[in-house]
Amino acid sequence: MIAVALRNLRHRPGGFIATFLSAFLGAVLLMAFASLIDTASGVDAASNESLITTAGVGGGWCLVIVAFAVTSTLTLAVRRREEQIALLRRVGATGQQLRRMIVGEAVAVALIASAAAVPVGFVLGRLLVSLMKDTGQVAAAVDAAFGPIALGVGFGVTLLGSLVAGIATARRTAAPVGTKRARPLLRRIGAGLFLLTGANCAVLTATVMDGKGIDAMQTAGQAGIWASIGLALLAPELLRLVTAVLGPAVRLFGAAGELALRPQPSAVMPVLLFTGIATGTVYMQGIEDRASSGEVQAAYARDIQTLNYVVVGMIALFVAIMLVNMLIAATTHRRREFAQQRLAGATRGQVIAMVALEGALVTVTGVLGGAVASLFTVLPFGSARAGQVWPDASPLAFAVVAAIAVALTGSALVQTTRRALRGPATAAVRA
Amino acid sequence: MTDVVRVEELYKTYDGGVTALDGVTAGFAAGSFTAVMGPSGSGKSTLLQCAAGLDRPTGGRVFLDGHELTATKDTAMTKFRRGRVGFVFQDYNLLPSLTVLQNVVLPLRLAGRRADLAAARAALAQLDLADRTDELPERLSGGQRQRAAVARALVTRPAVIFADEPTGALDLGSAREVLTLLREVVHQHGRTVVMVTHDPVAAAYADSVLFLADGRLAGSLSAPTADAVAERLAHLGDRARAAA
Repeated sequence: MIAVALRNLRHRPGGFIATFLSAFLGAVLLMAFASLIDTASGVDAASNESLITTAGVGGGWCLVIVAFAVTSTLTLAVRRREEQIALLRRVGATGQQLRRMIVGEAVAVALIASAAAVPVGFVLGRLLVSLMKDTGQVAAAVDAAFGPIALGVGFGVTLLGSLVAGIATARRTAAPVGTKRARPLLRRIGAGLFLLTGANCAVLTATVMDGKGIDAMQTAGQAGIWASIGLALLAPELLRLVTAVLGPAVRLFGAAGELALRPQPSAVMPVLLFTGIATGTVYMQGIEDRASSGEVQAAYARDIQTLNYVVVGMIALFVAIMLVNMLIAATTHRRREFAQQRLAGATRGQVIAMVALEGALVTVTGVLGGAVASLFTVLPFGSARAGQVWPDASPLAFAVVAAIAVALTGSALVQTTRRALRGPATAAVRA
Repeated sequence: MTDVVRVEELYKTYDGGVTALDGVTAGFAAGSFTAVMGPSGSGKSTLLQCAAGLDRPTGGRVFLDGHELTATKDTAMTKFRRGRVGFVFQDYNLLPSLTVLQNVVLPLRLAGRRADLAAARAALAQLDLADRTDELPERLSGGQRQRAAVARALVTRPAVIFADEPTGALDLGSAREVLTLLREVVHQHGRTVVMVTHDPVAAAYADSVLFLADGRLAGSLSAPTADAVAERLAHLGDRARAAA
């Protein structure tokens, strides 16, 4: 089956692009941050501490995002090939063999992606060190290094993450037909745990970290991430709620509106993660900037500012990949459904209107959920840093974040739907 | 009797040079039930799709309900079909996420017309689906799904109903029910039905049968019986060979 896996990679590389991209970007960032630890060995104590802190903060973010992105892209890459897997099953492949094929593909993609990431990670690591030298946080004499820790973490985490994601996907996909069952209870328990962790971090920020200045960012930032993940896991419930509330308005669009009232929750997750983490981080930095103006800044405050914006950009990139990949997979899957609607008398315009309305419901859910999650970061940090729970910041930044979410979802959806609608409906319904 | 559907000199060539229709001229009278038959690859499904405005012919003209189909854009073709044409397909093509009733009124809603739910319920009750109106299609048997599809095809009161192998996926009993239903649609409600099939037993329910071979007309048969249809089908190849 490993042979089949490798042939799949060689002859159908298109299906793995998204998985490769997220693994590659993840490995690059992990290597760059881990190389700071390589650099830190044998330098003066102050530089050492700065390097290790930055590596820890930056690397921690990456770890969470990479795990999420690789799992979701891989799941979809496999789900897109349900037909091939059903075919293999019919010609006699056992579940065990299919699992081996899927995991084999995942590991092979991770290996290639990590190898390709080495030179880029090397350059990015150097860039980080020189950035830190510019701000005087690291002594000018320190030489950037790229050694065993960078390579070990980069390859190790990417491979391990892909392996775990591959096994999880394979277990679900290779199960005999008819035994696939969504497990809402497990998902809800997971959501509860993440939300509790987020709330815990938020409380810690507002109490223990009160008056600790910029250091409160560590727990405040985490609170928002955990809350975002927790709410993202509740996407189906949130989407149902939003659909129920907005249903009457959507119905005003006629038949397209009625057909749009059963949206799929999968795309809510990336939108929510993006909105939650981006909004939280941007406003947290805003509060910090206002609070620190006039006072003597910690040496690494500027670095953290840069780092925060880099993190937001990074997450936006990851989420864009996830979102586009997800929407392409989901929409391609619906070719037949669209064709049936057209045969029942729907014009292309009506199908696109339906998809756009579904997209609107998904985006509203994601943006609202993300806004709630970001409060886990913003409110306690405001209280700890500025003694003021509600920040007196302009809503403009949130509007920008929401606009990016809308633009990403909208363009990906409409593009993929257009493609799925190409050609006569009679051919698509048979496919 | 006037022709509800008329095709003149219809040609259809697919990319790659396969000729599916090679100059077909035919008319389908109002209030008639016609079966179109032929071996696989004879062009019968292509004829139906071109005549119904689902696909564009390479050459020739199509008249539906007295109007020529001149639209070439997909949206314009859809609007032309609405209200003029109803469809019944082999694999039902009911939307899995909508209930039976919602599926039936969907063409009306898509055309922006008010759906008369009471009338739709009554129509479904006539087809013995009164207690299934609010279920999803997956809970219905094949025969029930196809009857729901017939109800959907009728809901816009179209000039003609095209049926593409409507019994292809059904067991004998369900097939008989659906074919009887199509006959009633024609003889009791005065609609026009054009049905593509490869099954002589199904074709025998029609008033007349049109034979196609290699994209050309190869004769017709009035008041068909299953045996007579099977006999003609078996010798379609002979004549094509003799002509060559």
